[in-house]
Amino acid sequence: MIEVLFFGRLGDASETLHIDLPQDVIDSDGLTAWLCKQNSKLETELSKAGNRIAVNKAIIARNTRLKEGDEIAYMSPLSGG
Amino acid sequence: MDATYLKICEISFDPEVEHKTFRESVGGAGAIVAFTGLVRGEGEDLTLTLSHYPDFTESQILEIAKQAEARWPLMGWRILHRVGAMTAEEPIVFVATASRHRRDAFEAADFLMDYLKSEAPFWKSESVNGNERWIEPRAQDITDLKRWTE
Repeated sequence: MIEVLFFGRLGDASETLHIDLPQDVIDSDGLTAWLCKQNSKLETELSKAGNRIAVNKAIIARNTRLKEGDEIAYMSPLSGG
Repeated sequence: MDATYLKICEISFDPEVEHKTFRESVGGAGAIVAFTGLVRGEGEDLTLTLSHYPDFTESQILEIAKQAEARWPLMGWRILHRVGAMTAEEPIVFVATASRHRRDAFEAADFLMDYLKSEAPFWKSESVNGNERWIEPRAQDITDLKRWTE
């Protein structure tokens, strides 16, 4: 199982997912493409600029290999203060 | 550095109490700079809701604070950040820094706030008279952040 979290406006497009790593998905780019196929609202939001992805609570800058037990977070632009 | 403190607050905090606690924790400092960010509003029915990513948010803010410690000779810092629902005039964020001389404390507090605005994992939505929208960094926030890398 993997856990996929969505924050900010991405959280309006999808609930948290607890899923088996989909067949043929081996990395973060693959997961993003798979999510876009499942959910058109998410596809629209993920195509916008400024989103970030974290794997196991570390921001990734490039495509990253995924494994069982990973926690993947999709985040819309950050806004504190 | 002992006088460091970070708290993500689910309920309102009192900036005056935080200032006093901080001042008492940084004996020997020559300067304290404290900034309080408030929910703006002029009487309309406004609610601001902030969410965060528990543990990740804290670790990212600690990274930002480490950068400030590396750049300025600080004697301490204190950061409180609200999450949850807030109304006009409530404090959202408190950042205080202490140093021997004023310039270091001023600059470090300014730096910390610029990073908190657009690099700390918080998400903010605003509801005004029942209309909700997400608030994302303004161009000015991005420009402010660039001051520290140029």
